[in-house]
Amino acid sequence: MTDVRAAEAGPSGTPAAERGQGAPGGQDRPDVSAYGLADWLKWAWRQLTSMRIALVLLFLLALGSVPGSMLPQEGTNPAGVQQYYTAHPALAPWLSRLGLFNVFGAPWFAAIYLLLFASLVGCVVPRTFRLAGSARTLPPRAPRHLTRLPRSAEYSTALVPAQAVDVAARVLAGHGFRLRRPAADGGADGDWVSAEKGYLREAGNLLFHLALLGVLVSVALGGLFGYKADRLLVQGDTFADTQSALDEFYPGRFVTAADLGPFTVTLNQFEASYITSGAQRGQPSSFDAQISYTTHPGGPARTDNLEVNRPLSVDGAKVYLIGHGYAPVFKVTDARGQVVYDQATPFISGSSGNFLSEGVVKVTDAQPEQLGFTGVFVPTAVEINGILQSAFPAADNPAVSLIAYAGNLGLNNGVPQSVYQMDTAGMRQLTPQPQLLLPGQSLKLPGGQGTITFTGYVPWVSLAITHDPGQLPALVCGIAALGGLLLSFMVRRRRLFVRARAGGKAGSPQGSTVQVGGLARTDASGGFEEEFASLAAELRAAHERAAAPIPAGHSQHEGE
Amino acid sequence: MPVNVALGHVSTDFLIAALVIYSLSVVAFAGDFAFGRPRRAGSVARVQARERAAALATVATAGAAAAGPGNGPVNGTVDGPADAAVAGPDAAPAVPDSMPEVAPPPLVAIRQAGRWVEAAMALSVIAVAAHTVAIVTRGLAVHRAPWGNMYEFVTALTCVAAIFFLFVMIRYRAWALGVFVMGAVVVALGLAETLIYTAAGQLVPALQSYWLSIHVTAMTLATGIFFVAAVLGVVYLAADRYNRRVAAGRAEPGNGIMRRLPTTEQLDRLTYRTIVFGFPVWTFGVIAGAIWADEAWGRYWGWDPVETWAFITWVLYAAFLHARATAGFRGRRAQYIQLLGFATLMFNILVVQVFITGLHSYAGVS
Amino acid sequence: MFKAKRRLVLLAGAALAGVALAVVLLSGWASGGNSAVTDVAGSTNAVLYSAGHRPLAPDFTGTTLTGSRLSFSSYRGRVVVLNFWGSWCAPCREEAPMLAVAAEQYRGAGVAFLGVDVRDTTASALAFVRNFGIPYPSVNDSGSVITLDFTAVVPIAGTPTTLVIDRTGHIAGAVFGTATYTELSDILAKVTGGNG
Repeated sequence: MTDVRAAEAGPSGTPAAERGQGAPGGQDRPDVSAYGLADWLKWAWRQLTSMRIALVLLFLLALGSVPGSMLPQEGTNPAGVQQYYTAHPALAPWLSRLGLFNVFGAPWFAAIYLLLFASLVGCVVPRTFRLAGSARTLPPRAPRHLTRLPRSAEYSTALVPAQAVDVAARVLAGHGFRLRRPAADGGADGDWVSAEKGYLREAGNLLFHLALLGVLVSVALGGLFGYKADRLLVQGDTFADTQSALDEFYPGRFVTAADLGPFTVTLNQFEASYITSGAQRGQPSSFDAQISYTTHPGGPARTDNLEVNRPLSVDGAKVYLIGHGYAPVFKVTDARGQVVYDQATPFISGSSGNFLSEGVVKVTDAQPEQLGFTGVFVPTAVEINGILQSAFPAADNPAVSLIAYAGNLGLNNGVPQSVYQMDTAGMRQLTPQPQLLLPGQSLKLPGGQGTITFTGYVPWVSLAITHDPGQLPALVCGIAALGGLLLSFMVRRRRLFVRARAGGKAGSPQGSTVQVGGLARTDASGGFEEEFASLAAELRAAHERAAAPIPAGHSQHEGE
Repeated sequence: MPVNVALGHVSTDFLIAALVIYSLSVVAFAGDFAFGRPRRAGSVARVQARERAAALATVATAGAAAAGPGNGPVNGTVDGPADAAVAGPDAAPAVPDSMPEVAPPPLVAIRQAGRWVEAAMALSVIAVAAHTVAIVTRGLAVHRAPWGNMYEFVTALTCVAAIFFLFVMIRYRAWALGVFVMGAVVVALGLAETLIYTAAGQLVPALQSYWLSIHVTAMTLATGIFFVAAVLGVVYLAADRYNRRVAAGRAEPGNGIMRRLPTTEQLDRLTYRTIVFGFPVWTFGVIAGAIWADEAWGRYWGWDPVETWAFITWVLYAAFLHARATAGFRGRRAQYIQLLGFATLMFNILVVQVFITGLHSYAGVS
Repeated sequence: MFKAKRRLVLLAGAALAGVALAVVLLSGWASGGNSAVTDVAGSTNAVLYSAGHRPLAPDFTGTTLTGSRLSFSSYRGRVVVLNFWGSWCAPCREEAPMLAVAAEQYRGAGVAFLGVDVRDTTASALAFVRNFGIPYPSVNDSGSVITLDFTAVVPIAGTPTTLVIDRTGHIAGAVFGTATYTELSDILAKVTGGNG
């Protein structure tokens, strides 16, 4: 990654004139028609795998992500997309054609990252071969003049050159360097040892890039073979992990209905607690859903506590607690005195705050006419300026306000409707004003149409069920990428050379002058100076230690 | 557990104190520019290069018996017994040893740099200590890691930046840059205190997870480090612009401030080393965030606006690392990329988290 | 020179292999290549399973809307039309009158109709039954457990779904979505006429 690539050349196999082998005066332009298709492909490939193009693609990737964060995206916010269409009717279709409402699934975005990964692979694979090759080759021979290297040191020692180099080799080997000594008959070259270290840097670099590729593959795996689903579950109810029991189902391309389940989940109890005083009054402090589940229908029931940040893992899928709300319980008796509706009805909280929730009650089989009610549920009812509002998210003073309708709900023709919305086009309003009911109270409908009783409320939770086979591979690849990154940053490829020439200090033919030279192949992150300084000092100290046991040798040669 | 309000007030007091002391340190750094000893902040390599050149010059005039120990590099540690024994009866060696010198220890270097630098470094250390105490007491007050909303995040990241830069100043003797980085810390902290102050409080349940400590801590650390790199990048661009103007003859060479700054090459390497430090931390933070997102929201990556902008930031810093190895993109262009990356980071924190609704809207700013 | 050529050949080979693999995966998966399932003529959501390729219908027991126990195994030996429905489900309301009529019509031929009431409550379900005059019993499946069992053998995606089960307890035909009288009678003709 930090090696500079050679300047991009033209297609290989260029006519000789291009290579400048012609006469200096020959300014003939290269004959383009002499390039075949293979040449152009090779040139394009070389361009693609160049650093410059990688840089451009990285920029495009970043730039392309920007609209994905600014505009509503169909996958996560379909309602927002609809709103955008109504707010910008002329602009929205064009944005849609450009794929800007689904940026991360758009073909042009895919093209960017696929090209980037092609460039990555084209870069990484040859370098892997090269690394494997270089791991087998020996370090280069020591240069003649080590003082010309970026870092060098020179000192004298009492040891003879061969000994000095031996000692140096031992010290360097102790530091983990790979060594090279001259051939046995290389006497003309002098005594030297060449040392190299830091191959892990390139290995870490390649590991990082390959691991990124692994992340991409894992994401694709999850997208193809995984699924996401939502389910709203009222307290006391059970659901089985099958498509018809799910409110929303987003399967991967290769997922079929039979791939789900077969676990079941029952919501036994849900509790939410809120902060009752202070500056954060009304903020939630904890959510707790007590569930029991089986891994297959009829299996032993196990209990678990679902919380935010604490999903349930079952049958290869994960069940998450996403949200919660209130479901007021209504009992409706129709004109004929039959109980035609008796269940908890989930109401959805909006932006009004403190869980003021809205919903509808559709009594589809009331006789003689279908009945419908639109309602607002307030957990802690207060009336401010004649408007019903909720003062606190907990159900301290629950109340519901209803408007009654009778007529045709529009369901019998087979067109599905949302259970949270009612089409009042075919209905007439029975109650001119919204009617407020406290728990236990009933509303008698005018015209003898029946009665609705607000018997109480139960909480509901919304669950997300996901299955992602690419999740674990993505994590492993992510950690591998991080490891490779750290290796490539912390390890430096460096070379050290030690030469010993006969002749110590001037005037003493015994001993040798030791030259130490070193260079860091890539020292952009620094630190080699200190390492070289400490290595040079250590070598010198080792030489002195090796020479020291013969202190008499000094007085000996002085006497000679 | 209820919030310890008194301790929260202690935290705020320490933060104000840190702010004041940082400002004083900035004044002291500026004083060094105006009144301090004239010298150019250099790395050890320059010193060594100078000394080696001197030593080699002596070698070239070998035979000059006047060569004494004072001629070589200052290093009293390498005279071993062999040398002493050899040098005893003879005259001073005509081929002096040439060993790379070891830099003087930091405290010595600081003292050598003059009173203003001494004062500025002392004030910086005290300010960082007070800042750290403020963060710690805030954490104790709320019984959790103290980076749960934007105010806490900004105070924490500036603390990280200050500590990191202290380390940089001591290791690379880079106090000439103190006025810029500490000045930026003062501005950031001041804005945080006045604009987005939030009293110590609890977190919404979605944030009550030990992953908070891991993910946001990593992001805080990385942002603090990138903060330092950004300031260095700005200084680089100013120095580079000045150099180009001098080369074009449109500015007077020898500007007082510019003379005190490190060379653009040193600034570039310092920036690179800083980002090399911060990039893995940011990568780890993104991974930890993905793990937390999977635990909380059921998917490890959903292109939530904050996730997307964290990805954009990552890509831009990766582009910086690539740019430094690409002909034509080193130097100024690479710094632009790095600054753009930091801009996206700031955009993420200040705009995306606050104004663009998504799963991440926990800034706590109403 | 030779090394470069060899590498190019390797890369080209790998690319070709990748493309071939992709083509195989994407095409072979989608079709399934199952000739044992045929569409009912003139219908887009009704299928027939040829004899020998009919999945076995899982057994189940449950509580009917009127509170009595019902075991599906008691229907073995008869042709059963199993209808998954809910009172809240608009397409189910559309086909309900047809089912009520068909149930009466095929009673003489010994075909039994049985309902599975999905994600519903007793009061609303009974009101539905009363309203449309459904003459056959339905089993409560508010937890979708019966549906889950059947989805393992036939791809039930939602309601309404109607399955026709032969005398040996194997699923011979299915309508995924609103069933028309023509579709139902076509399937029943294949199942009751001869090769039960």
